[in-house]
Amino acid sequence: MATVSPNILVVEDDRETRALIARYLRANACNVTTANDGREMARAMTDHRVDLVILDVMLPDEDGLSLCRKLRAESQMPIIMLTARGEDVDRILGLEMGADDYLAKPFNPRELLARINAVLRRQAAAQTASATNGATALAFVGWRIDSRLRELRNPAGARVAMTSAEFDLLRTFCERPGRILSRDSLLDLTQGRNAGSFERSIDVLVSRIRRKIEPDPLEPTMIKTVRSGGYMFTPEVSPVPASANGSS
Amino acid sequence: MKLLGFLNLKGIGGQIAALVVASIVAIHLILAAIFLIHRPDQLDQPGAHRHSQLAAVVQLLGAAPAAGRPRLFADIARAFPQLDVESLDTKGLDTRGPVPGTDPAAGEADGANLRSLHRRLGSGYRVFSLGPDGTGRKVGIELPDGAMISARMPADSWQRPLWRGPWMTTLLFAVICVTLLGLWAARALTAPLSSIAKAAENFSLDGDAAPLPERGPEEIRSVAKALNRMRERITTLIDDRTKMLAAISHDLRTPITRMRLRSEFIEDDAHRSRMLGDLDQMRSMLESVLSFLRNDRKLESMTLVDVASTLQLVTDQFADMGHKAAYDGPEHAMATVRPDDLHRSITNLVENAVRFGAEATIRLKVSPDTVTIEVEDDGPGISHARKEFMLEPFVRGDDARNMDEAEGFGLGLSIARSIVLAHGGGLSLNDRQPHGLIVRIELPVRQPGRRAVA
Repeated sequence: MATVSPNILVVEDDRETRALIARYLRANACNVTTANDGREMARAMTDHRVDLVILDVMLPDEDGLSLCRKLRAESQMPIIMLTARGEDVDRILGLEMGADDYLAKPFNPRELLARINAVLRRQAAAQTASATNGATALAFVGWRIDSRLRELRNPAGARVAMTSAEFDLLRTFCERPGRILSRDSLLDLTQGRNAGSFERSIDVLVSRIRRKIEPDPLEPTMIKTVRSGGYMFTPEVSPVPASANGSS
Repeated sequence: MKLLGFLNLKGIGGQIAALVVASIVAIHLILAAIFLIHRPDQLDQPGAHRHSQLAAVVQLLGAAPAAGRPRLFADIARAFPQLDVESLDTKGLDTRGPVPGTDPAAGEADGANLRSLHRRLGSGYRVFSLGPDGTGRKVGIELPDGAMISARMPADSWQRPLWRGPWMTTLLFAVICVTLLGLWAARALTAPLSSIAKAAENFSLDGDAAPLPERGPEEIRSVAKALNRMRERITTLIDDRTKMLAAISHDLRTPITRMRLRSEFIEDDAHRSRMLGDLDQMRSMLESVLSFLRNDRKLESMTLVDVASTLQLVTDQFADMGHKAAYDGPEHAMATVRPDDLHRSITNLVENAVRFGAEATIRLKVSPDTVTIEVEDDGPGISHARKEFMLEPFVRGDDARNMDEAEGFGLGLSIARSIVLAHGGGLSLNDRQPHGLIVRIELPVRQPGRRAVA
């Protein structure tokens, strides 16, 4: 997937941090442009081809949140926000701001890379996947998975806690229902080859997801194991309109 | 001036003085009322009905003509045998006793009896004692026409013991009244003081306690005012410190982010991993400070959560880090909570558990209205005396044991507790047998009546 070097725009006001992020991403096969604030960002976006924007929340003049909102109003450009922990997370991820993902400072650079790859893959998948049609929330047998809020709710409407990796894997399944997915392709789709070993293996993640969503984790009916093939997500998946948010 | 100051009824001194004056006035009023009602000067002394009988009989005799007296004597002897009234001749008197009115044996009480009898009879009669006689005392009475009669005065038994006297009763009554009044007054005066003491005791740094009530005597009001002002100053001071700490923690994130990025370019693997470890420790310390500081802001909204999945998630995360962590409880359990806050508090508890013990067990018990979460470790536990202390912020566990290990600010437990309290639940520390600690969290379930879009 990520064979072509993605073009990343880093908008960050701290010169040192900006340079270090750029250096780290370049070392991991990305083309990086940098910007200090909103104006430089606008200029960079007209001058360069940009596949993804990394946007700091705290910026001089115009803050990252309003830049994010403007950007989202104009395009489907993938956005990853860099934020102070716990601050405005709901707003960043909410429909209002529409960021694709966020990372709290100080962050693990490898995780930033993994998130970049995940967002880009998702973007690519959303353009090709017919079933999901780019919807932010998907529903299956009463369950509801929301990519933007990064949350899973059970048929009773209760939020089910998941790690980032578990969530990405379940979303990958939901975007490809009824297809046999090998462990390798799942690894590609969720973590990327270069993410290294800091995430758990697919089998462990599948068993943890099963424990959370299957009525009987020992006799799984949703995520079925296909002999010598991998896994298949069996339930019917339907997109949830963006307006049907929350409880009724 | 001093006197005026003393008369200031708003002060404690004035109030006490007023109270004393009021109680003295009250006693006097009570005594006066009793006096006016009972008139002890006119009081018929106990046994006085016999006196009046005697007086009536004597007056009857005195008014009767001398010729009719023998018959009258007989009638009186029949009607009032206890008075023992009979005629007395002067000759007998001489032989039977000393000179009338000069009886030295007549006690003071006796004299009073005679005087009282004399007062009843009037000035025409003369009364003198004839000495004791069996159950009473014989008296001689000279009628206005000079005739003498003798009669038996009722015995001394009418003389009540001292403590039953009316003045004693009054005094007793007064003492009881003053005591009760004093107790009431002391309570009324000190109640504001003790409420101040209690409020000062309950004063906590979260700053949402109500200010002290400014009522009662002037001194107490000014104490309350002063304490309230002090509280405001303390709160402002803490707020300033909190802001400063938050700003420092906030600003430290930029250099830590840089270092985190820079460490990726360190060639030496051992060096780099050690650097990452230090940075992780710094990051977790910052996070705990920031989460402690923002805790009362209640940023996160309540939502229905599968608590079991949160506990499983924490267990998995610790297992992934190489710790021995186990989850024991139902697969699913719904409760209305703040999901990220709950996750953080459980994470803090398990962090402590694996730091002090070899393995951690997270248990979940569900009842219709409570969710009970227990985080159990097999470490040394916490002595009973230190349990309450351990819940305070910036208090660490056994310092000596962990000198060289990664350690936080001692905020984990207090953050967990304030999160649980913000949920309307409770957190308690309990002993595990044979050793170890059980941190028990009880959360209200609320009504999981909402349903999502199916």
